[in-house]
Amino acid sequence: MPSATLLGQALISGVLAGGMYGLLAMGLSLSWGLLRLVNLSHFALAFLSAYIVYELGTKYGVAPWWSAAMVVPVMFGVGAAQYWLFDRFHVNELASLLITFSFAVIVEAGIQIYWTADYRRFETHYSTLSFKVGPFFVPVLELVLCVVASVLAWGTWMWLRKTYVGKGLRAAAEDADIAAAYGVDHRKLAYLLSGIGAAYAGIAGTFIALIATLAPAQIWAWLGVVFAVVIIGRLGNPLGALLAGMLIGASESLAMAVLSPAWAPVVSFSVLIVILLWDPEWL
Amino acid sequence: MLLETRHLHIGYGDAPAVWDATLDVDAGEIVSVIGPNGAGKTTLINAIAGLLRCRQGDLRFDGVDMTNLKAHEFCGHGIALVPEGRRLFAKMSVEENLELGCYLQAARAARSDSLERVYALFPVLRQKRLQPAGELSGGQQQMVAIGRALMARPRIVLFDEPSLGLAPAIVDDMFDIIVRVRDDGAAVLLVEQNVLKALGIADRAYVLEQGRIVAQGVPNELLDQPHIREAYLGV
Ligand SMILES: Nc1ncnc2c1ncn2[C@@H]1O[C@H](COP(=O)(O)OP(=O)(O)OP(=O)(O)O)[C@@H](O)[C@H]1O
Ligand SMILES: [Mg+2]
Repeated sequence: MPSATLLGQALISGVLAGGMYGLLAMGLSLSWGLLRLVNLSHFALAFLSAYIVYELGTKYGVAPWWSAAMVVPVMFGVGAAQYWLFDRFHVNELASLLITFSFAVIVEAGIQIYWTADYRRFETHYSTLSFKVGPFFVPVLELVLCVVASVLAWGTWMWLRKTYVGKGLRAAAEDADIAAAYGVDHRKLAYLLSGIGAAYAGIAGTFIALIATLAPAQIWAWLGVVFAVVIIGRLGNPLGALLAGMLIGASESLAMAVLSPAWAPVVSFSVLIVILLWDPEWL
Repeated sequence: MLLETRHLHIGYGDAPAVWDATLDVDAGEIVSVIGPNGAGKTTLINAIAGLLRCRQGDLRFDGVDMTNLKAHEFCGHGIALVPEGRRLFAKMSVEENLELGCYLQAARAARSDSLERVYALFPVLRQKRLQPAGELSGGQQQMVAIGRALMARPRIVLFDEPSLGLAPAIVDDMFDIIVRVRDDGAAVLLVEQNVLKALGIADRAYVLEQGRIVAQGVPNELLDQPHIREAYLGV
């Protein structure tokens, strides 16, 4: 049995790493839960954003926050454009999965052509910064990521619950016709939401650029666990997505510390299966 | 005339469901549409609410041609639907369901006043305001559906079988509420299978059979027609 310090450190690292799961899960969860579109290309957009931040940073010396200020609005536009496509061709839930999978493959290929399959790393003087709390190390970037993810999750959750636009979206997700009968222009709101989801991919991508090592195939690395997080957090619930992300991050990290790294994926999917068996209405 | 439909044809895909429907509702009136299962009552009322497109004919509301408007544009003109089967947003709270009724700017401005009125009409909803609407009893859900419509500050309320699935003890209450809605200033178009009750509160009525309007008039006249007595009252 590892020491208490080790377990504590694993817990902290896990929760912080889970912030990334949560951030990635949020955009996916919004479009799946509220628009019934499963956007697999979310991961591709996040990595595309990461590569752009990397490119701007390493080639032109642009600070990542300035890159983010450019990439995030562009991603919003991409998300809105994707919704235009879905709407134009009356894409349903299953078809959206296939189409966005194809889209992700194309983006992956594009990344591979432009940036090659080599591993890329955006080195900054703060990328490995950390501080000490008692016996524990806290990495600064991951902490910032978690704060950003928490603010976004909370803000989005409040937006969905407290504003008329948010209520209109939730109502339309349950019964689009009746929502329309009370004046909800679902299509207009869907453009907005789809854009927001993709903008979150842009934010996630900025952090990916700073924290992770980039390679085109990495697009798929988080697919499984983030899907589990989306479902555990409940579709359409950004706060749930973040908490589920942290839960899974912590469980994975503890499993790695106590058992072995190979156990990490077992943990997240066991949680998923248990939850789905326990309450099949969860989806 | 507040609502005027002229020769409406409405259908699903290739299958027509309503032919040549012509009816009027004036301000301050309760107009009932009665007819057997599958006659096309829901189809007609949903088209008037904007949920279905009319294939042919004219739909006018307060002189405005509604034929080419989109579904979400109907409510702003003052049309509110209490749909068949209630169709609440089951996962949202009672109050959120009501607030959806005042989604549009004009109604939104009167939100607190409208909420007070709805809670005064249905006090039980105030107690349940934070509960998910799907957890309420059938009668309470019908109250939410009616409250949601009233929140829109409508000039006409379209009721599609509001007594369906309610306990017999509260069916009378439901009809009292409909009269009350009219007395508070909105016109009412009521679709019902409960013929006696629907005719009892109506100023005028139409009989819809197999997608066509086969009779119309004031309730007493209709009740004197042998065909209607036979088909709907079994006497
Ligand atoms: N969504 C739909 N798609 C295809 N056909 C439909 C649809 N809804 C209704 N219909 C058909 O249109 C006709 C009229 O149906 P409608 O629901 O308007 O009748 P109704 O008078 O409201 O009946 P009920 O008393 O059972 O509510 C029926 O023949 C029905 O089968
Ligand atoms: Mg019907």
